[in-house]
Amino acid sequence: MVQNKQKEIMGRDSILKAIKQHKPDLLPIPEIDGARFDDDVNLLDIFKHNVALVGGSIKEVDKALIDIEIKKQFPHAENIVALNETSTLGTISVNKQTDPHELATIDLAIVNGAFGVAENGAVWVSEKESIVRVLPFISNDLVIILLKEQLVLHMLQAYHKIATRDRNFGVFISGPSKTADIEQCLVIGAQGAMSLTILLV
Amino acid sequence: MSHAEKATIFNKNEAKVNWHDKALWYVREKRDNAAHGVKEWEYLRDLASAIKANVLSDLDTYLVEFEANALKNGIKIHWASDAEEHNAIIGKILDDNKAEKVVKSKSMLTEECHLNPYLEAKGIEVVDTDLGEYIVQIAKETPSHIVLPAIHKTKEEVDELFQEHLGTKPSNGNPEYLTNEARKHLRGKFLKADVAITGVNFAIADTGGFVVCTNEGNADMGSHLANVHIASMGIEKIIPKEAHLGIFLRLLARSATGQPITTYSSHFNKPAEGKEMHIVIVDNGRTEQLSREDFRASLHCIRCGACMNTCPIYRRSGGHSYDATIPGPIGSILSPGKDLTKHSSLPFASTLCGSCSNVCPVKINIHEQLYKWRQIIVKDIKQPMVKKSILKIAASVLAKPKIYDFAGKSARFMLKHAPRFMIYNKLNAWGKARELPEIKNENFDQWYKINRKK
Repeated sequence: MVQNKQKEIMGRDSILKAIKQHKPDLLPIPEIDGARFDDDVNLLDIFKHNVALVGGSIKEVDKALIDIEIKKQFPHAENIVALNETSTLGTISVNKQTDPHELATIDLAIVNGAFGVAENGAVWVSEKESIVRVLPFISNDLVIILLKEQLVLHMLQAYHKIATRDRNFGVFISGPSKTADIEQCLVIGAQGAMSLTILLV
Repeated sequence: MSHAEKATIFNKNEAKVNWHDKALWYVREKRDNAAHGVKEWEYLRDLASAIKANVLSDLDTYLVEFEANALKNGIKIHWASDAEEHNAIIGKILDDNKAEKVVKSKSMLTEECHLNPYLEAKGIEVVDTDLGEYIVQIAKETPSHIVLPAIHKTKEEVDELFQEHLGTKPSNGNPEYLTNEARKHLRGKFLKADVAITGVNFAIADTGGFVVCTNEGNADMGSHLANVHIASMGIEKIIPKEAHLGIFLRLLARSATGQPITTYSSHFNKPAEGKEMHIVIVDNGRTEQLSREDFRASLHCIRCGACMNTCPIYRRSGGHSYDATIPGPIGSILSPGKDLTKHSSLPFASTLCGSCSNVCPVKINIHEQLYKWRQIIVKDIKQPMVKKSILKIAASVLAKPKIYDFAGKSARFMLKHAPRFMIYNKLNAWGKARELPEIKNENFDQWYKINRKK
């Protein structure tokens, strides 16, 4: 035990010492001129286009009709976790203490997205929205409810938006899980959610 | 075996080589489409390159800052000078947690450290959960590409492997069926794992957090279910600020596969309540590469694989011909730094066309570094007799205009008039699997002399 700890400390010091010895003279961090990425485009149109491009489906719905839309799309879902305040479809409740393994049989998760990124169709979902980290991944299907005014153009703006968040866990989700590892054939539904539906309200 | 010898073996199956070549070129074309759709793409590359150069020039400060911030957030930090220390540290974490089952998501670093055999020797079950990595794991092979690990396998080969290991039905290599069977199998592994091991795409100094990018969601399935998450990272994975992810995530997936971003870009800052999170920071030859001025920029690499997809040699020789953890152009400048003798043929596995440097999202001058390694290798490592004598002859021919003129004329005469067997035989490597150009009219010198008079 003690010996192992000793070795690790040596590892740290020897690595840092080697870097100090070998690194080149200090080079500056570049200033990022964000204005160069500005583009006068319709965020909603681009976002919709890119969600479809990455294999997701997207629809604008009236807030009062969320549940009707979800029922229509997922008529057979039984085990549902609904973390959106207007949805009453939830059959299983979760909290911070929920053992993630218990969510293995979830058919459908309905979570809020914090905001969307137009350039790549990604939506930011943090622990605040998913409560249990594994939920958006382990659920068979995933529905994200997103306010349509909550869109940014690109990732630099996205990071500006989450700069002051409570940092625990968060993920940009762009489409359903997918793989092309067998002869480059795209297959939707790898280890994470099999489908992603974004409902814009 | 040299790269050329291994490439010869890969080239025995011409149909497969042709498929491999086209499949990767298609990925390159997707990369172009994605890149051309981004306003100020070249500016993004400039910024990424400059940020990485800054990182290397102040790496020790950033690592210490990263460590302090991660510790504040309850993440445990370990330092490993080499592969052996890396494996021992992970072995100890597993022992401390009495872990028996491990799920891994893609990490080229753990491949580099040969972690799997180390853990298996300890009696631990290790399952690679990225589909491509799972395929090569059950085939007892190594990844042949850093983003597309099983690109060298046909769907029929995967079908047979799955029949043997997962008991699937013969499906003529139906990708949907096979992927879904793997999904079911891997679900069971995720749910029973004690520890999840992932790589790190970016480690952020000013927050102490790290980002892992996957398309399959396997890193998240593993790390959020298991009680312990261990992430292994090379020292060069550091970026100064979280805001810089806004540059790198715009470049990474577009360069890798032509996607606008990977499906999941997961940001880990704190362990979940009641769970453990560890980061192992690894040197394993990187500080030595940092000391080599000419090759330092190879540490900018963000492992997108774009240089492999575009390389005419890689596409037609396959990743395994490089006999290194990281194959392709970037691997050919990293590997000689680790073992110059073993990897001395790799810098020659290039046409120096520069395509790799053109697509590199962090602007590594790959082809120039390949050329520089060649200068070192011909001085330090004994070259094959044939190569030496051919180069000697070439040098004397090129130095004497009259002999050069005669040699050129004879070659043109032969190509025009000699029978096929004299041209397309073992002595002429340029005639292998390809037709030589048709010879028409005079050479340039003759053409110039005639046309100047006009």
